[in-house]
Amino acid sequence: MAVLSKLVKWARIKSPWIIHYNSGGCNACDIEVVAALTPRFDVERFGILLKGSPRHADVLVVTGPVTRQTKNRLIRIYNQMADPKFVLAVGTCTITGGVFRGAYGVLGGVDEAIPVDVFVPGCPPKPEAIIQGVVKLLEKLQKT
Amino acid sequence: METIELLILLLKFIVFPGAIFCIAYGFFLEWFDRKLYAKFQNRIGPLLTGPKGLLQPFADFVKLLAKEDITPVGADKLGFTLTPLLTVAVSLFTLLFIPIHSLTGVLSLPGDVLLVLFISTVFGLLIMFAGYFSGNRFSMVGTERTGLQFVGYEIPFALSVISVAAAARSLEITNIVNYQVNILGLPLIVFTPIAFAIYLISALAKLEKIPFDIPEAETEIVGGWQVEYSGKKLAFFRLATDLKMVFVSGLAAALFLGGPYGPSIPGLEPIFYTIWFIIKTLIVMFILSNLRSLFARYRIDQVVHGFWKYMVPLAVLQILIVEGLIFMGVI
Ligand code: SF4
Repeated sequence: MAVLSKLVKWARIKSPWIIHYNSGGCNACDIEVVAALTPRFDVERFGILLKGSPRHADVLVVTGPVTRQTKNRLIRIYNQMADPKFVLAVGTCTITGGVFRGAYGVLGGVDEAIPVDVFVPGCPPKPEAIIQGVVKLLEKLQKT
Repeated sequence: METIELLILLLKFIVFPGAIFCIAYGFFLEWFDRKLYAKFQNRIGPLLTGPKGLLQPFADFVKLLAKEDITPVGADKLGFTLTPLLTVAVSLFTLLFIPIHSLTGVLSLPGDVLLVLFISTVFGLLIMFAGYFSGNRFSMVGTERTGLQFVGYEIPFALSVISVAAAARSLEITNIVNYQVNILGLPLIVFTPIAFAIYLISALAKLEKIPFDIPEAETEIVGGWQVEYSGKKLAFFRLATDLKMVFVSGLAAALFLGGPYGPSIPGLEPIFYTIWFIIKTLIVMFILSNLRSLFARYRIDQVVHGFWKYMVPLAVLQILIVEGLIFMGVI
């Protein structure tokens, strides 16, 4: 059994598929996330693929603060994902609400709605920083 | 004596050139396809999983097997569970007819070209069921698109295969391969280049690769028919796609490129034939990956129009050319 669980852990670390959701940011973070997928950074090297359906993905990449309107949708997408699932929050907005903090429609960081595994600060963070965040997530997985 | 023969047959079914070899080769083809696709886009592709990312498809498969398996409330439970299994089983079954290590496949019967064509039609039907049973509106749209696309590519695919069968005057894959090796001495692609092109294009549509990935279209309808599938079921669908890649390239090698035949040392034929099979299928996959990275997705009506307006007449023309060549005694 030990061998099997080791194999599964190896497979999980080697193939984290992501789904990308913007819960109300200014779009700059999204552009950086997309840039991480393009030839210059090419995260497919690590086996990362961008998937369209939450059922296929392992990592939910959230950008932007949680607004009152998107909160329920974010929770619903999170619930639709199959276990084991992880959340990577990209951008300062996802931590505190960033420049939108205190606005009438904004609740605050992503952890207001769903549990977060790794935060990537920056407004917007560079693709390198996002990849670093993914590596941190995988390290966390390695320890479990 | 009989038990030994039975054992050998069983080994052929399960290990080589049956299930295990085909699955491993399917994973290899997926890696080859992804790597090439990345190269064409100036990316690197899978790199860190095993040597040069070779184990990436295997890692994806194991990860999906170990994930939670969700059955949506709105889905038809029996059909939802059964279709992924059936898809894998059907693709493995068709692979038994492909000649890999010798000039005959593991199974070979008179008229198996028709049988293989029929079963490859079932692929499309199973995809439609898969979308229908999951009871999601995105997969419903995917199902409709699969059906419509199916109407487009199935006839040209069959016609291109029929033109080869007409040239060899046989409906048995073994005989067609034998004809190319022993009687003609040339691969049939020399006389049926149009049919080969049509075969490749409709094969792309059959595999739902990029210019024809309308039923999946991640940017339009999320994931098409497979949107609700997670965990083991998705793993099985991906495995089935890999097996279909082996099937499509293997059938192209058998019908157009002279099967697994090539120069070899007498006595070591199975090994050399397997190597030739791998080389020929890789050539076919190379062309398919090229096409996949060259084009953008077509609209569904463009696909059906294109197939019926241009591909079908061209395929009929090819059959006429073949008949003319036979009439003149060239082949
Ligand atoms: S962190 Fe900055 S760049 Fe990112 S969504 Fe918020 S405001 Fe925009």
